[in-house]
Amino acid sequence: MTSSLVRQALILAALALLPGVGEAIYFRHKISWQSPIPPSELVTVAQAHVWGENVIWVDARPDEEFARDHVPGALSLNEDRWNELLPQFLAVWSPGRKIVVYCSSLSCNASREIPDVFVLEGGWEAWLKQNR
Amino acid sequence: MLNCRLPAHWALGVGCWALGVEAMEPLSTISYQPSAARRFPWRIVDVIVAGIFIYAGAIKTLDPVQFASDIDNYKIVPWPVSVVLAFYLPWLEIFCGFALVVRLLYRGALSISTALILVFTLATVAAKVRGLDITCGCFGHASQHWSFPAHLATNLGILAALLALWVSNRSAKPL
Repeated sequence: MTSSLVRQALILAALALLPGVGEAIYFRHKISWQSPIPPSELVTVAQAHVWGENVIWVDARPDEEFARDHVPGALSLNEDRWNELLPQFLAVWSPGRKIVVYCSSLSCNASREIPDVFVLEGGWEAWLKQNR
Repeated sequence: MLNCRLPAHWALGVGCWALGVEAMEPLSTISYQPSAARRFPWRIVDVIVAGIFIYAGAIKTLDPVQFASDIDNYKIVPWPVSVVLAFYLPWLEIFCGFALVVRLLYRGALSISTALILVFTLATVAAKVRGLDITCGCFGHASQHWSFPAHLATNLGILAALLALWVSNRSAKPL
């Protein structure tokens, strides 16, 4: 009886695999396997440079790392001092301006569900690589 | 329905293997099948539980990206595993639901459904203990604002129904 139960469970598990793979192929351009941030919300350093003055750079790293070095003109906005730092961000922000958020790595997840907010692909390291 | 008491033929053998019934099984070894009237209330429970699994699976197949995010919020598995689960689990729920309704691969479906609901419940409790603010994602947007007690009560209700189905099927003939 146990073997029949396991056998039935394996058959169901295998059957579910087929539409699952089909769906993964169908949604392959809508989801990233590397990061929870969808590809449409990621921007490369080169793309962000093309936007020029229309971009507000937001540094989401801790204060110490921001003090050490940051993208020229970037504003610091991190979770530790969110209430203190938000007013200076709002002072320069206007609708239509694109916001590029960067963290230490790709794990930056601060931009979700806000229009015109993008996460810098590769984070601070990617910017350093292309600009220093 | 396959008659697994007929002399073995390869196609029949495969079908019987899938259903977990031995081909050429002697009539005397087939266990007692409860009457249809006695089974009727349990069929209702079957259909309700199956409906919940099919609905939960179907709604998640519509937005696997959101479901992957919901799984990721539990901070139990890395992102690529969340994506794999987001594509796979909803279909597993749907297949188990249909298997419960049509009573094909029934015990397999019961065992997977019970395992799934146990894992979901443990993950919910673990997230609560770790102070994570999570969207369960169990029923897509419909469950977006569920409180922890509502979430837990639903899971435990389904688990109780599944356990009842296990008990009610102990004396039934496996299909």
